[in-house]
Amino acid sequence: MTSLQAFEVALDRRLQPTSLDVPPGQLVALVGPNGGGKTSLLRALARVEQAGGKVIIDGEDLDAAPEARRRRLLSFLPASRDVTWPIAARDVIALGLDKPDEERIAELIALFELDALADRPVDRLSTGERARVLTARALASRPQLLLLDEPLSNLDPYWVLRLVDIFRATADSGRTLLIALHDLTQLPRFDRALLIAGGRIQMDETPAELVAGERFGQVFRIREDAEGNWEIRQAADRQSSP
Amino acid sequence: MPLFVSLLAASGALRVASLNLCTDEYLLLLARPSEIASISRLSRDPADSSLWRVARRYPANRGSLEGVIATRPTLVLTMGGGGRSSEAIARRMGLKTIDLPFPASIDDVERNMIRVASALGDAGRAARWRERLSRLKKSRRMAQDAIYLTDNGFSIASESTGAQWMGLAGFDQRPLPGGRATLEMLALHPPRVIIRSTYRQNQHSLGRAWLAHPLANNARSKTIWTDGRPWTCMGPLMLTEIEHLRRKG
Amino acid sequence: MRLFLALAMLLCIAAHLLLPLAPLREAHAIDPELADLLLVQLRLPRTLLVIGYGAALGVSGAALQAIFANPLASPDISGASSGSALGAVIGGYWLGLTQPLALAVCGAAGALGTLALLVGLAGRRADTTTLLLAGLAISLAAGAATSLALALAPSPFAFYDAFDWLMGSFVDRSLSQAAAALIPAGIATALLLRRARALDLVGLGEDVAASLGLRPRQLSFEVIALSAIAVGACVSVAGAIGFVGLVAPLFGRRLSRGHPGSAMIPAALIGAILLALADLAVRAVPLDRPIPVGVITALFGTPLFIWMVVTLRRRLTA
Repeated sequence: MTSLQAFEVALDRRLQPTSLDVPPGQLVALVGPNGGGKTSLLRALARVEQAGGKVIIDGEDLDAAPEARRRRLLSFLPASRDVTWPIAARDVIALGLDKPDEERIAELIALFELDALADRPVDRLSTGERARVLTARALASRPQLLLLDEPLSNLDPYWVLRLVDIFRATADSGRTLLIALHDLTQLPRFDRALLIAGGRIQMDETPAELVAGERFGQVFRIREDAEGNWEIRQAADRQSSP
Repeated sequence: MPLFVSLLAASGALRVASLNLCTDEYLLLLARPSEIASISRLSRDPADSSLWRVARRYPANRGSLEGVIATRPTLVLTMGGGGRSSEAIARRMGLKTIDLPFPASIDDVERNMIRVASALGDAGRAARWRERLSRLKKSRRMAQDAIYLTDNGFSIASESTGAQWMGLAGFDQRPLPGGRATLEMLALHPPRVIIRSTYRQNQHSLGRAWLAHPLANNARSKTIWTDGRPWTCMGPLMLTEIEHLRRKG
Repeated sequence: MRLFLALAMLLCIAAHLLLPLAPLREAHAIDPELADLLLVQLRLPRTLLVIGYGAALGVSGAALQAIFANPLASPDISGASSGSALGAVIGGYWLGLTQPLALAVCGAAGALGTLALLVGLAGRRADTTTLLLAGLAISLAAGAATSLALALAPSPFAFYDAFDWLMGSFVDRSLSQAAAALIPAGIATALLLRRARALDLVGLGEDVAASLGLRPRQLSFEVIALSAIAVGACVSVAGAIGFVGLVAPLFGRRLSRGHPGSAMIPAALIGAILLALADLAVRAVPLDRPIPVGVITALFGTPLFIWMVVTLRRRLTA
């Protein structure tokens, strides 16, 4: 069982001092406008940048953990799908492991349906195929905490659903995932949703409550009409937002 | 100073300008101070001339006739041709010019000495130098196999004036293919004597670094150091150097 | 494949050491000890330098390509080689340093300077165009400065050394020169090789590497400093030699399945073999004038470089 406790992590103006507590096995969605701080929060928690504060995973202070331990504790998947080197898909996945483990690699290849692509260099895969390879890499070491930045972008509907299935299964096995989302159609499958805008967590609810909340509409400048469809908020309405 | 010069010129006194490091040597050895109008600036450089202290007493020129006109010479010394424009200017100004040939032998050097001394008005001024030379020739000893070694293994031709001077000192310059000694050759067939030059000794170049190679410093050859400056011209100053080398050999 | 490479390298070493055979036989005929003397004092330094310099170029080329995340980075294109030559020339001809080790330090300092300039100009994660332009500009400037420094040096013979400095030469080097180059280069290269895994991970992107506990910025500076030392020390003895540091990692990555960090060891072997073959070619040409070894490396390197640029273009526009 794992848990995430973050105290006062901050990144200059992009993320104000933020604290967060996530119990084990929770699938958490991060939603919010572009530039609002979703990526910054993930980067701060992953210690990609110096973010101050403390990040404690399952009782272990991330900053104090030796390099060898990091892979077990967390995994970070950036939003960018760019790759520099023409490395075979299976070898990219292998980079996620500290020791070669053919069984595990085979397992992941099967899980992400990469059998036909396993030996192709990643720079010759489509963006969606690359996304699967990189996500497989992030999952390879079975980390306690997964921080994934927009893993569902640019994927076809089959893979959007499949990945959320995989994330759900991962959470159910007791691990914690924080996932930044743009597309909100999958939101209901998450346990918890954080609305991040202006560099801080504005809402922290269940997905249903989040979407129904007033703040949600204000931040995204949208609202539900009488039939329950979303539409753009008019300028007059927006004046009432703080 | 300019007044003095024009007075001298007016009086028709002999004033000689030398445009070349090598002709400087003859002039500095044979002329009286009042007879020297100008010396090439290379002679003032301690790195290039052993007579630099003496040379600094005189005005320096950059090797062209135009540069020495202000010093009002009556005779100009050049070597290897002063250039056609210089000849034309000299003729128009009524200047006498003597173009000394590059010495192809020690005899040529002696002939140059006599010629310059005569132009200065007294061939006898070269007598002392000639005496020393003749003494050296008479006391010639058995020559040892030797190589004059400079940067990158380059040496001197075994027929050259420099080799003749070496012979006079008792060293037989070995004929080398391409005029160059290789490290292999120095290791396999070391000469009895290696002559090294102190010319620009503290100035680094890759060729200089070559001389530091262990195979170029074989203990089986005796290394003798020589002042490299007179070797540039192989002229009359070599006499003193050869006398030194005789003693070291 | 690696076995083949190792064997090829041994073969190159043997050939480089023993060919041409005639002088050695001649020496042996006079006195067997003389043959040993030639082997140890003349052949061995040259062979050691060729292998060591080639390996250093391969390793530092691979490492630089890893941290710049760019297959075109290399000691020559980044200006490090030219900077080393400039440093060594200033040290030797202007500061009057003659000890080979002191010159190695000057070479390393020169390389460090030009690499620092490159990072300052182009940034660490620059795109290919920026990196190439900045690196070439610095390389050309350093090369020109080296020629100028030689032309204005106290020794009038300095200028004739320009070819050796800018295009490389292994002729008549001594054991002490080889040691001065290869001991620092060897240490720096060994330290670089220890970072193979880290450099592989940096290949996933700096963010992922940082999340795994690596410190990409620190790693970059480490690679730059160690490459500068390795390349600088070698250049101070044998001059700047181009293309090997670009081409050897390219083939090295073929053997490491694309991983940039694991490519360092195969790149070392390939670099050593390439440089040994180039120097053998130089010795085989029957001219009195030596052809600088950099000319040979340019001959095989230029078509490969052009091919790399073309395939890069194709990949980017695909």
